Amino acid sequence: MSIITKKITKLENIALNPAKAVAESCKETGKEAVGCFPIYTPEEIVYAGGFLPVGMWGGKKEFKESEAYLQGFCCSIIKTNVELGIRGAYNHLKAVIIPALCDTLKCIVENWKIAVPQVPSVAIVYPQNRWAAGSQEYLIAEYKRVRSELEKITGVLITETAIEQAYELYEEYRAVMREFTEVAAKYPQTIDAKKRHLIIKAGYYMDKAVYKEDVKCIIEELKKMPEEKAKGVKVVATGLIGEPIEVLDIFVENGITVVADDLAQESRQFRTVGRPEGTIWEKMAGRILDQRGCTFLAEQKKSRGDMLINMVKNTGAEAVVVMMMKFCDPEEFDYPVYKAQLEKEGIPILYLEVDQQMESFEQLRTRIQSFAEML
Amino acid sequence: MSKTSKELLNELVAKHYEDAAQAKKDGKLVAWATSICPQELLEAMDITVVYPENHAAAIAARKHSQEFLDQSEGCGYSIDICSYARVNMGYKDIQYSEAANIPMPDMVFCCNNICTTVAKWYENLATELNIPFILIDTPFNHIYDAPAHNIEYMRNQIEHAIHQIEEICGRPYDYERLTEVMKISNETAYWWRRACFTAQAMPSPLSGFDMFNYMALVVCIRGKKEGRDLFKLWCEELEAKAAEGKGPWKEGEEEKYRVIWDGIACWANLSPTYKILKKYGINVVTSLYPDAWTILYETNDIEGMAKAYTYYHANRNVDYVAATKSQRVKDFNVDGVIFHSNRSCKLMDFTIYEQQRRITAETGVPTVVFDGDMTDPRIFSEAQYETRIQALVEMMEENKKKKAQEGK
Amino acid sequence: MFLGIDIGSSSSKVAIVDENKNVVAAKVVNMGTGTNGADVAMQAALDEAGITLEDVKYIVATGYGRLKFDKADVQITEISCHAKGVQTLVPDADTIIDIGGQDAKVIRLAGGQVENFIMNEKCAAGTGRFLEVMSRVLNTDLKDLSALADQSTKALAISSVCTVFAESEVISSLAAGEALADVARGANFAIAKRVAGMCKRVGTGKKIVMTGGVALNDNMVRSMAAELGQEVTAVPHCQVVGAIGAAIFAHEKYHK
Repeated sequence: MSIITKKITKLENIALNPAKAVAESCKETGKEAVGCFPIYTPEEIVYAGGFLPVGMWGGKKEFKESEAYLQGFCCSIIKTNVELGIRGAYNHLKAVIIPALCDTLKCIVENWKIAVPQVPSVAIVYPQNRWAAGSQEYLIAEYKRVRSELEKITGVLITETAIEQAYELYEEYRAVMREFTEVAAKYPQTIDAKKRHLIIKAGYYMDKAVYKEDVKCIIEELKKMPEEKAKGVKVVATGLIGEPIEVLDIFVENGITVVADDLAQESRQFRTVGRPEGTIWEKMAGRILDQRGCTFLAEQKKSRGDMLINMVKNTGAEAVVVMMMKFCDPEEFDYPVYKAQLEKEGIPILYLEVDQQMESFEQLRTRIQSFAEML
Repeated sequence: MSKTSKELLNELVAKHYEDAAQAKKDGKLVAWATSICPQELLEAMDITVVYPENHAAAIAARKHSQEFLDQSEGCGYSIDICSYARVNMGYKDIQYSEAANIPMPDMVFCCNNICTTVAKWYENLATELNIPFILIDTPFNHIYDAPAHNIEYMRNQIEHAIHQIEEICGRPYDYERLTEVMKISNETAYWWRRACFTAQAMPSPLSGFDMFNYMALVVCIRGKKEGRDLFKLWCEELEAKAAEGKGPWKEGEEEKYRVIWDGIACWANLSPTYKILKKYGINVVTSLYPDAWTILYETNDIEGMAKAYTYYHANRNVDYVAATKSQRVKDFNVDGVIFHSNRSCKLMDFTIYEQQRRITAETGVPTVVFDGDMTDPRIFSEAQYETRIQALVEMMEENKKKKAQEGK
Repeated sequence: MFLGIDIGSSSSKVAIVDENKNVVAAKVVNMGTGTNGADVAMQAALDEAGITLEDVKYIVATGYGRLKFDKADVQITEISCHAKGVQTLVPDADTIIDIGGQDAKVIRLAGGQVENFIMNEKCAAGTGRFLEVMSRVLNTDLKDLSALADQSTKALAISSVCTVFAESEVISSLAAGEALADVARGANFAIAKRVAGMCKRVGTGKKIVMTGGVALNDNMVRSMAAELGQEVTAVPHCQVVGAIGAAIFAHEKYHK
């Protein structure tokens, strides 16, 4: 097996088996894990405390225990997290951090305290009015409050120096990821839609210091190879997450390549470069204040449509695929606005409504296949 | 003879819409604003303020919402999101309804204390209409009391909003007028709350669905003198009624059960929701709405104002909400709680089950949940509603029997 | 004599009890509210008891059609009636699961009284209607669904929360060559899961019983037990439990 195949297989396995991967990462590093809910959390603070920040992006689990807290029209990622929490799947976590970024998450902040008392939770409320003076100061105060809550829960002192070091590591990881998405677009056969997703997702269950080296290695190996031609349609993906994984299988079957993404689980995590100046707190706050085109952070004018149009133009993509997570209010609110903008530009849209509990993919298969045939 | 508050109410609601239309014709600035926002800031600069949530409710109550829902759903709005937003985004395109009309805005003014969703909705309006977006972000209070940095952040935003308004109006801010509007707004809030609290009397002089009617006006007229005077008059009428021992309805129509209605009314299904309750002698005596517009603070106290707005109940934690409702059960002699699981409002829905458990544990009163929606008429099912309400009645009756036996 | 009538969305049930609360007649007609099913069932029950309507001293109506049945002296919800019926038939039961055509309910009893209850969300697929749709898709009679499900060799998951989508999901499964038996069992499990979820909100007690026509589906009762990890039994004469409860209410109301 070549080095690149080995690395890709390693990361694929990690992304497909999060629980096992987290256990192994903890064992290897001697660290304990802290859970990080979607969409944004100050992972650097967790890392600086000597803990392993791990992503919590739901999974395919039947709803049973969570029915005592949430109705049927709740976002499946978030409901799955509650389900797993009550079932004890997160008992090994020192704490979880829950950002109150949407109405559903606000309620989860509340329900978690009662439903999963054995896993302490820390809430963070990001500013939505990012253009007003004072939002930076507010966000910094929130970061400091999160630090203090974590310190109280874990009994570990989290120094600014440690946070600075963690931030530097994270900035390097984010730079690597930006490079990866650019390079991967040139190798659509080696890095198909499914592999691209799994490689990026693996980072949620590993120590970033280890993970970034694996991704760097993949980038280096890719660069040694001649660039590849896409077999079929090149697309930009947008939405919350690029799952269920079965959808990506159908993409691969139909030769659909993701050349760039605006997925909350993927590029939105690393596309914004940190500010070079300021205190460590200002730099961290800057990444949130400077983030554009994300539905979870309000803007005076929505920039997502223009951003997607630019992404399509810059990557030579032929269409935009919308991975619409059922019952995700913010994503559902953005869609009509960027849909109109994309249509005006003549960019085709493939709209796929998904949730994590899906069992049957026949209808989606038909739609994806006919879309690929259409282009 | 002088007018009753009911007559005045209808006049003022009509006047509200007429004045707004006239203001637009006269070239005055119009703002679309959320229902529990610091409208003081706009009123003080003589900006005409209209409320899309109110407008959507008015359209739905007159059974005209479907046309606007169809329009926005045709543009790609999911049937799963807030129906106030869907009606309003449809109205933005159609711009006319037989039910009621509001002039198109020159700016949108949003306070997200009621939900994160309104910020998404207003962001869409600001983008598609290409007009200024003024946002007062009130961070969710997952801790019982708002920490100092939240208050500071809101204060900064109020200052920022004042600058934005100065720029839009092209003249310096009128702080003197703001002082006056603040004073009136607080007086209105005082009378609104006092009127709602007359329902503590047994029987209650106030029918909860009447309260919904007055609510439509408290949203849009809080900063105006005629609003304050109306709520004072209403309060006096209710207090007089209570003193005479009169109940919510006509002579001979007994108030048998007193309940809390939790959540927004089903505007598109107002008549069946009301009639079925009345049929069983159920009166809605309270909810958390009496306090929704009880925005009280000292005049010119900006931090106090910020705090008052961030403490709207949907922006506070379950500890607060459940404890407050339990207290209402005790203070208003409530027999049961009806929760509206509103397909439009995830923020109010996703803690209902936990609230039910806490309220029953704390007070022993039964609770029931029904599915509905505030402006989308397709969600509510009359037969399912009646079965749930009647089952609640049977449980309330058992409780009453038990109490009577214990009393003996 | 005292008569209870339970007019559901797809069937009408009538029970008659005598002065000693003994059931002297019980009839089910597969015609629900909006049809003349209620009258047909009532006449059949009267015939079985060998009496006429004049001999009936009091009538209680329950079920979705209760409000439209003008012969009743009083109407009571199916929640209270099922509780009353179960209290008589299985006195030690403390948890009732009733899967009706339009509504699924979980009722908790304390000392025979309703202590708490919950009903399904409006469009969750946990109702009898769902099974009707499934049996139609499977081209099977509703009563044969259980036997069909018993032949299943693997668990097939149906995930859609909505009956309409579940139907298309099942059609896709059949198109993909899944066995009818596996789909039938999958349908039972889908309902059992929804109802088990509802049980989480009120909790289950020590003795769980099922009422309603769906309890005739033996495989369904076993699926329910498997999901809850607790014993679940069907109440004898499960279809007429609500009607029996209504008849006993009629007796009590008359003698009050």
